[in-house]
Amino acid sequence: MALPQRKTDVGPPHYKQFLPPIVQKNYGKWKYHEVINPTTMVHVAESGDKLWTVRVASPRILATDTIREQCDIAEKYCDGYLRYTTRNNVEFLVSDEKKLEPLKKELTAKGFKMGGIGYGITNVVHTQGWVHCHGACTDASGLVKAMMDELYEYFDSKRLPNKVRLAVACCVNMCGAVHCSDIAVVAVHTKVPEINHETFKNMCELPTVIGSCPTRAISPDPAKKSIKINEQKCMYCGNCFTVCPPISIKNPEYDGVAIVVGGKINSLRSNPKFSKLVIPYISNEPPRWPKAVAAIKHIVEVYAKNAKKNERVGEWIERIGWEKFFKLTGIEFTFQSIDDFTFMRDTMRTASTFKW
Amino acid sequence: MEIEELKTKIYAFCEAAKGKKKLKEKDIIKGLSEAEGIPGDEVKKALRAMIDVGKLMYSYGGGASSVEIPSEEYLREKGLIK
Amino acid sequence: MAGKKYNTPLIDDLEKGPWPSFVTEMKKAAKNNEMANDALGHLEKCYTTRKGYWKHGGIVGVLGYGGGVIGRYSEIGDEFPGVAHFHTVRINQPSGFFYTSKALKEICDIWDKYGSGLTNVHGSTGDLVLLGTKTEALEPIFAEYSSRGWDLGGSGSALRTPSCCVGPGRCEWTNYDTLDLTYNLTQEFQDELHRPTFSYKFKIKASGCACDCVAAIARADLSIIGTWKGPIKIDQKEVQNYAKTMDINAEVVGMCPTQCMSYDGKELQINNAECNRCMHCITRMTKALSPSGERGATLCMGSKAPIVVGSLLSWVIVPFIKLEAPYTELKDLIRKIWDWWDENGKPRERIGEVIEIKGMRSFLEAIGVAPQPQQIKEPRKDPFMFYTDADMVKFKAKEAEEKKTGKYNF
Repeated sequence: MALPQRKTDVGPPHYKQFLPPIVQKNYGKWKYHEVINPTTMVHVAESGDKLWTVRVASPRILATDTIREQCDIAEKYCDGYLRYTTRNNVEFLVSDEKKLEPLKKELTAKGFKMGGIGYGITNVVHTQGWVHCHGACTDASGLVKAMMDELYEYFDSKRLPNKVRLAVACCVNMCGAVHCSDIAVVAVHTKVPEINHETFKNMCELPTVIGSCPTRAISPDPAKKSIKINEQKCMYCGNCFTVCPPISIKNPEYDGVAIVVGGKINSLRSNPKFSKLVIPYISNEPPRWPKAVAAIKHIVEVYAKNAKKNERVGEWIERIGWEKFFKLTGIEFTFQSIDDFTFMRDTMRTASTFKW
Repeated sequence: MEIEELKTKIYAFCEAAKGKKKLKEKDIIKGLSEAEGIPGDEVKKALRAMIDVGKLMYSYGGGASSVEIPSEEYLREKGLIK
Repeated sequence: MAGKKYNTPLIDDLEKGPWPSFVTEMKKAAKNNEMANDALGHLEKCYTTRKGYWKHGGIVGVLGYGGGVIGRYSEIGDEFPGVAHFHTVRINQPSGFFYTSKALKEICDIWDKYGSGLTNVHGSTGDLVLLGTKTEALEPIFAEYSSRGWDLGGSGSALRTPSCCVGPGRCEWTNYDTLDLTYNLTQEFQDELHRPTFSYKFKIKASGCACDCVAAIARADLSIIGTWKGPIKIDQKEVQNYAKTMDINAEVVGMCPTQCMSYDGKELQINNAECNRCMHCITRMTKALSPSGERGATLCMGSKAPIVVGSLLSWVIVPFIKLEAPYTELKDLIRKIWDWWDENGKPRERIGEVIEIKGMRSFLEAIGVAPQPQQIKEPRKDPFMFYTDADMVKFKAKEAEEKKTGKYNF
């Protein structure tokens, strides 16, 4: 069959055609919402109309057949409308309360997992990992699956002092807001990259490679028409590898993951914050990364036990102090947690008022 | 300047940089408009016309985009040569 | 279409457990698809050796565009021919990620015909990501989707696909129409999105309030965060209802960062002049409290992940802007921002980095925004600073005027 005529610069379709009639009617006129339970919330409009949302977990990688199953459910209960969230959940919107329980029943029967609303743990923002990225030093999807299996009760039932936003980045490029999450895993290299001098000269631009290094560890090597890396200065970020394929940094034995905590993106109560490094290194242990998962679960549990209601992980830690965080969690404090990159001035303590 | 003449000059500019410097679109626009005294918008228009028919192409490497002369492989894939 | 059956014990383990499994999804796709099948074998090998095998992105795309397709090739394509080419296609999502089943099924049907049947719904930036196809399928894929009203998203040194929170579609807190603004900007800047002319990527994200559900403040070069200017309206009857189930003093008043609230068991009071609009009280008592008065947004700029010299959160640039269609003021400002970046940025420099290098003054002057205390957390500490000749003329003129009037004007 002949191909249709291509069109350029049409942009995305207008969103209005995808809005359910109840949303079109009450667009911009919502009055309030209530979280009924971790699977369901209801939005009430000024008109009195009610819209129930049932949130369903997604592994983000979806086969087309799964999308079709979601569509079939939307056709049966939601007049064919559905939406996805920034954190990759799928949401079924119901304007008729009578359809709510049958919808949930069918979702359960089909094996879909409902939850993620309110003060608990919802889907994990993550990167492509070994599934599809050239720079990955771990697999993001596998880590997410292993983490969420272990933390599942916080998704569908058990509550926490506030939301705990999790994220996984498979390298320090961090596609996604990993650097501002309550608890996040970031994959790290720990060894200086190797350079293939033979292919370097044909494949890489010298100034670009030198400029790519945040610690100025790279200098020209005129004899080889290549570069050299100062091992004392290299922090293994891998940015030189990104701009120049002949630089190789993958190291199956020594690549691993670090854990950062205490970030947030909203401005509620306190300003948005970066996540900070607390565990510098855990080996890559596919398929389930048991130590990394255990560390995350441990931090969640210590937070759940100690934080005040409404405090996010970072707010709790700032109230009690980082020294207390390390004490309560029993996490060993290492040199890696002291900034020696760009933020030392702002992060060292300048008073004797700390806790023992 | 006639648009065809401008296109020839743009092509020559890209050819001269081949293997030496990755040209961004703005490098070409700036280079040509300075050398030839042509408004940047006209250079951009000619450049876009060339890209639309595969005379030049957008390329990508090391996290950044550039403009270059297409490879035979690209032209074959697009059905522009046999 | 029975291909090679791979033995995948490591990733099979990830089919167990309550959380939905991406491995199950890959197997589902693999049933009818050779590419997805080889992707499974390929992934098992990564799990076995603890190493990835994808090469750096190659030069692939559709004619005339410089983005929307991410070239992906495997180093071990001989072993897994189905993923020798495994390119990603980014489809620009509709605002707010709303779909009809009809539209989604059509997207799926086309994708099954030309690709692996695997997707990301959605990718980090917001695009609907089609994961894995061959070079020769790219033009047909583009013809099929674009003729049906779907376009590619951004990649490379270009405007990336803008995205937004659910906004007026289903949220009482939004201060402007995030869905419309996102659609409008995406349409306005189609050229910048498809044809990479920038120094590096440029992301725009639109959140309707300080809850920032799209994480704009942390990952957008231009973070548009909704806010308002009027007082918080209080429904005292609803406050009383909340008091039945909530300790308002502990959970709301005591957690207010500016301590501008009080509650005596009967009435909630807010000193609006001291409120910094953080949204905590509103989110805890949404039936009782709501913003009022002029609505709009704060424009913040510069956030990015750690590469190269450390992560940045966006800085406040324009404390308040009204956002109503056709958004002319914002569009003009964006063009000025890009012009300045174009003049001053080197390849691979995000705008936040360029602002840091060139100085906030250069940037603000170029885009015509005055210095305002709302832009900073605190003024500079060390008295090393630039004075232009014009600054000195201004300071001297001010003093001359003061001498005339006998009144200081600090």
